Amino acid sequence: MALLEVRNASKTYRGAGAPVMALREVSLAVESGEFVALVGRSGCGKSTLLNLCGAIDFPTEGEVLIDGISTKRTNDFELTRLRREKAGFVFQSFQLLAGLSAVENVELPLLLARRPNARQTALSRLEWVGLQGYSARLPHQLSGGQQQRVAIARSVVHSPRLLLADEPTGNLDTGTGEAIITLLRNITRDFQTAVLMATHSSESLTSVDRVIHMRDGQLDI
Amino acid sequence: MNAALVLFLRLIVRPLRNEPIRAALTCFAVALGVAVIVAIDLAGKSAASSFHSSLETLAGKNDLAITATAGVDELVLGQLAQLPYPFELTPRIEDFATVDGRGAAIPFFGLDLVGMTNQTALPSALQWKQPQQSPDADAIPLWVTTGLRLPVGKHIRLLINSQLQEFVIAGNLPAQKYGGDQQDLFITDIGYAQIATGKAGKLDRIYVKTPANGSLSHWRAVLSARLPAGTIVSPQGAATDQNRKMLSAFRWNLRALSYVAVLVGGFLIYNTISISVVRRRADIGVVRALGGTRAELLWAFLLEALLFAGIGGGFGVLLGRVMAVGAASLVGSTVESLYVTNVPAPVHLSLGSVANGVAIGVGVSLLAALAPASEAARVSPIEAVARGRWEFVNTQRSRWLWRFALGLLVLSAVFTKTPPVMGAPAFGYAAVLLLVMGTSLLIPNIISWSAAGFTAFLQRLLGVEAVLAMQSLRSSLGRTAVLTAALATAVAMAAAVGIMVGSFRETVEVWLNSELTADFYLRPPGSAAADRHPTMSAAIADALERIPGVAAVDRFRAYPITYEGLPATFAGGEAAKPKGRGAIRFLPGENTAEILSKLNTGDYAVVSEPFANKHNVRPGSELRLPLGGAIRRFQVLGVYYDYSTERGFIVVDRSTLLKYLPDPAASNVAVYLEPHADASAVRRSINQALGGQSVLVFSNGSLRRGAITLFDQTFRITYALELVAVIVAVLGIAGALLALVIDRRREFALLRFLGASQPQIRRIILCEAGLLGLLANGIGIVLGTLLSLILIFVINKQSFGWTIQFHWPVALVLAMLGGIYIATLLAGLYPARIAARLDPIEAIHEE
Repeated sequence: MALLEVRNASKTYRGAGAPVMALREVSLAVESGEFVALVGRSGCGKSTLLNLCGAIDFPTEGEVLIDGISTKRTNDFELTRLRREKAGFVFQSFQLLAGLSAVENVELPLLLARRPNARQTALSRLEWVGLQGYSARLPHQLSGGQQQRVAIARSVVHSPRLLLADEPTGNLDTGTGEAIITLLRNITRDFQTAVLMATHSSESLTSVDRVIHMRDGQLDI
Repeated sequence: MNAALVLFLRLIVRPLRNEPIRAALTCFAVALGVAVIVAIDLAGKSAASSFHSSLETLAGKNDLAITATAGVDELVLGQLAQLPYPFELTPRIEDFATVDGRGAAIPFFGLDLVGMTNQTALPSALQWKQPQQSPDADAIPLWVTTGLRLPVGKHIRLLINSQLQEFVIAGNLPAQKYGGDQQDLFITDIGYAQIATGKAGKLDRIYVKTPANGSLSHWRAVLSARLPAGTIVSPQGAATDQNRKMLSAFRWNLRALSYVAVLVGGFLIYNTISISVVRRRADIGVVRALGGTRAELLWAFLLEALLFAGIGGGFGVLLGRVMAVGAASLVGSTVESLYVTNVPAPVHLSLGSVANGVAIGVGVSLLAALAPASEAARVSPIEAVARGRWEFVNTQRSRWLWRFALGLLVLSAVFTKTPPVMGAPAFGYAAVLLLVMGTSLLIPNIISWSAAGFTAFLQRLLGVEAVLAMQSLRSSLGRTAVLTAALATAVAMAAAVGIMVGSFRETVEVWLNSELTADFYLRPPGSAAADRHPTMSAAIADALERIPGVAAVDRFRAYPITYEGLPATFAGGEAAKPKGRGAIRFLPGENTAEILSKLNTGDYAVVSEPFANKHNVRPGSELRLPLGGAIRRFQVLGVYYDYSTERGFIVVDRSTLLKYLPDPAASNVAVYLEPHADASAVRRSINQALGGQSVLVFSNGSLRRGAITLFDQTFRITYALELVAVIVAVLGIAGALLALVIDRRREFALLRFLGASQPQIRRIILCEAGLLGLLANGIGIVLGTLLSLILIFVINKQSFGWTIQFHWPVALVLAMLGGIYIATLLAGLYPARIAARLDPIEAIHEE
């Protein structure tokens, strides 16, 4: 069974005006250790699909299964546990907590999950992303690339089986972006973690195992 | 470590360190709220514990007390002693005395020192020297408390009921042990005391220690059956309990007022936590995405409220202990003037008071934080990936909230028509709370309407800064509405109390004008209450009548009694005597002339309004009073307005009083002059007639001024409480404006890039403070007027039974509003300075 399975998932947003269908009957599967890129223009539904895959949003129709567990039939507590144990996130704008140091940001998922040895694990992950010696720095004392490395360290600190990255290089220069893509590639290699990355950077596509194109909320096959 | 605790420490506590002033302001606001609760609680306990009188301290451990209006015949003591039961009987004489007729009236007690020699009840300090061992056979031996600083062997003269008597100090008693909470007292043997007080053949009280076999109610029934009618047998300490019961309404009202500050503090906690949630919305989204549960986030923000409540509460307890000393003095003077003779007991910080203050502070803080903390828990992880500036979810404007607010207002109106619950205006308090809540929920709409209606006007008046300020208030409605509600509530409560007290003052002044029509008033030194000071001999009033220029003398005698388990005053007067002057005012619909002409024709009485309301007495009701060895029945002819005491009066004609209680001494005397009489000459004649006897003489004007001064003293405590609530609200405004400035750094930076000067930025913040103050004052004064109607016509009426005529004290209210408005503007000064000094480049770069 694939690590991630999306089965005919649709997502409709109902606001004040007419309903907006962000995803239409999307199906895909991602295996352990696979590095998959979602490519498409802004507004094509990449981020929505990532949100569904990360169990932070739910499909209106269809189903999403992470490691065999459906996100649709679970309550909030179980979804939270699912995210804690199975998923990691990397955001375009890093989303580090401004008041916490690099190591404190990284160890946060472990503390939330009440895992032991949080600090040592966090320090080892920081070392793994090449930021040894930066652990006490606050986010604003780090460059954009360094902040994204911290965010990646945080996303894998609890050894998730699935990593979702939304435009991880969107705010970075080309060189730094390439380094980040390499890091993500290494994650799939070192931890056997599946990475699903939304991007519109063509440079990053050379490192991935598979590219999925999206257009108007659908997979462009 | 617990995940909620981790989030609390990292997500919340750490950023607080960057805003120490705002955090300190919130803590201080909570501290003030808790301090007021603790202070009022301690002051109330101090006042209530002072009712444990010197007499009860001296009485030792007894079971029952036998009393009668104007005293128990001493033959009763002999009859009781002959009963075939081993009762231990301890007779007492109770009165007041002044040293040489000067200074305060001090409790004077006569104890059966000879008879008590073999009883354990006799204090050891009195046993060492009995009357027969008196150092001076010509003077009466007297034991005094050490606080009076009278050495053994010293001769002193005491004025007791207008008679000067010579005593010699036979011993000193430790004040703390024997003086109870009234500190000072005189004790002599009962035989001497009977003569000195003019109560030969009478006893004021007989304490009874009952045999161990049989219940107290059994022995009470045994004694009642053998005592003459009109004699009351009550458990020891009943007077203390009655006083405490009487004081309970006053204490409840004071407590309710003390909760206003913490209620306002609650609004500010809500605001602080809301700001905290709004600022951290993206962070909360990240935490949710990283595996934080809703419950953990809820607890993290509740812990933030607990942090403020804990620090503020701890500091508040200490502050409350300090404030309690002043509050005890203010409460004591109110109790003294409205209820009973009272020297507040020392203030002790009890665990109960601390727990009560902290529990209310923590409870209100948690309740206030619950809504924003729940909002934090509802933040979706999606918000981690969304961008932009979040404002409060403006649910307040939704239609259901409108309906809900109107529903609360309607329910409040219904509650004002609901009768009291066990004598307490529970629904009155609920009506106040609902009115405040309903109005608070309408505030977002009021701000929106104001913004829509006055923006153009503001632009013309104050320029673009005012428009920007108004738009800012409107765009952050959730936040500004709560701030406005907090300040409006404080303003409203201050205005309501101001209007109520102003109305009461006006009513009392009108009452004094109609009531105090005599030219001179005389009374012995001591308490101003007629039933709580010594009497004047009948010869004084007789001598006054003979002074040329005196048209009439009105003798008034008052006795403290118990009616239906509550203290009251039974009195006899000559209200009908001076024709055309001094008519008391009866309730509407009652014929004054008819009542006064009938009063001296039989067993008729008039009662004061508080008495009538407390005991549900109406014209035509029959009162059964134990007098002169029998139960006497009096028909009530009318109910008159009286604002002198909440205890309540039953007044009969002096001739009726003397028929049952034939002591002609007067408690007070009013002197009416002939038209065109020389008041100064009469005053000199009065002083000559008194012949150096210690009697206080007041002119009409000085008595009125004294009464109003006393009134103003009485309500100082309420003003103090409202002032604290306003300070809490203004602190909240300062804190919130500071937060607003920090949150809008980028906006201000952008304005600077667009050409705004530093003074303009400063003006925007000051305009926001000014507009907030204006809105809160406007809403507050309307709400306050409505609240004052509930205070006057529902809570006051149900608690105290007084009719207060509504009066708007314009000068007082306008001065108060002006003061609050200036304070609000001042609260904006520091945030305005911070905003003006922001470095625009740095602020933009941070984003």
